[in-house]
Amino acid sequence: MNCPIKTQKNKEWLLEYSAGRLDNERAARVARHLAMCPECARFVEAQRGVWQALSQWEPEPVSADFDRRLYSRIESQPATWLDRLFRPLQPLWHAAIPVAAACLLIVASVVLHTPQAPQVTVEKIEAEQVERTLDDMQMLRELALTPKPEGSTSKSM
Amino acid sequence: MGASAALDYDAELMLRVKDGDEASFGLLLDKYRAPVSHFLYRMVQDQAVSEELAQEVFLRVYKSRETYEPAAKFTTWLFRIATHLALNWLRDEKNERAQERLDQSTEDGPTREVPDRAPSVEQEMVAEVKVAEVRRAVAALPDKQRAAVLMQKYEEMEYSQIAKVLSCSESAVKSLLFRAYETLRVRLAHMA
Ligand SMILES: [Zn+2]
Repeated sequence: MNCPIKTQKNKEWLLEYSAGRLDNERAARVARHLAMCPECARFVEAQRGVWQALSQWEPEPVSADFDRRLYSRIESQPATWLDRLFRPLQPLWHAAIPVAAACLLIVASVVLHTPQAPQVTVEKIEAEQVERTLDDMQMLRELALTPKPEGSTSKSM
Repeated sequence: MGASAALDYDAELMLRVKDGDEASFGLLLDKYRAPVSHFLYRMVQDQAVSEELAQEVFLRVYKSRETYEPAAKFTTWLFRIATHLALNWLRDEKNERAQERLDQSTEDGPTREVPDRAPSVEQEMVAEVKVAEVRRAVAALPDKQRAAVLMQKYEEMEYSQIAKVLSCSESAVKSLLFRAYETLRVRLAHMA
């Protein structure tokens, strides 16, 4: 192979080789090149040092109450109208939803009988939905999640 | 975290969450709680902040379940959210106070219990000094370079996936990594 450093071609092979992540065939080609190129050999040696140094950095374990805090936050989120209507019995941590669903039914029955007063409630739910959707859309925009034609690269997905 | 078929198992789990299966959310949480938290910790280098951000990641995943479409590999989506939150936090916190906190935590280090068969105090101290050096070197990298290195090294992501997480081209990712490792080689190569 040509010298990756001098030609700037396949230079990433040196990184992957240093990390032991290059496939056998390419690794053999790099190894042959390293035997006759001191510059690349020095690069690989230094890069291995970086890799080993990074390996020494162990993060702290996640707090034992991580899930409890998360589910508590999830519980405190307002349930969507779909949740309230169709999924009242599924989630264990959503024990309060059946009550909410029952309340919604009561509200709905009141709507049928007295159309004026509950209008505010329905509008409020709709407003919350719109707000939440906008929130989601904003996040999707920020994350550039607009679906792209990625089917052609499904292997890497 | 290697390549997978058209729809990876995690995306299938997420689709089940979308259909109301809360247990599948628990499975995803079990699988990615540590990787996401550790990635965020190495990004912001503050335990409390990283856990707060990790909570936010999973909360957003849960909140987005109804609009979720498996347009990308699940981990790409997950780490895109995590990286986005980390980069935002770093941008907002880049002030003197954040730097002070980092310096302090690097100097003090986390308090650890010494296990029964602990290496000698000297060995432990040397190891901690080394880790502190690694942390400082990684912290000194520009944010995107740091994210790319962490995803490559610890999450074992390929260039193509890192590119999708960072919303840039594969060649841009390679360029980020080369610059990052060039800096790290100067600072860390002697530690081998
Ligand atoms: Zn060479």
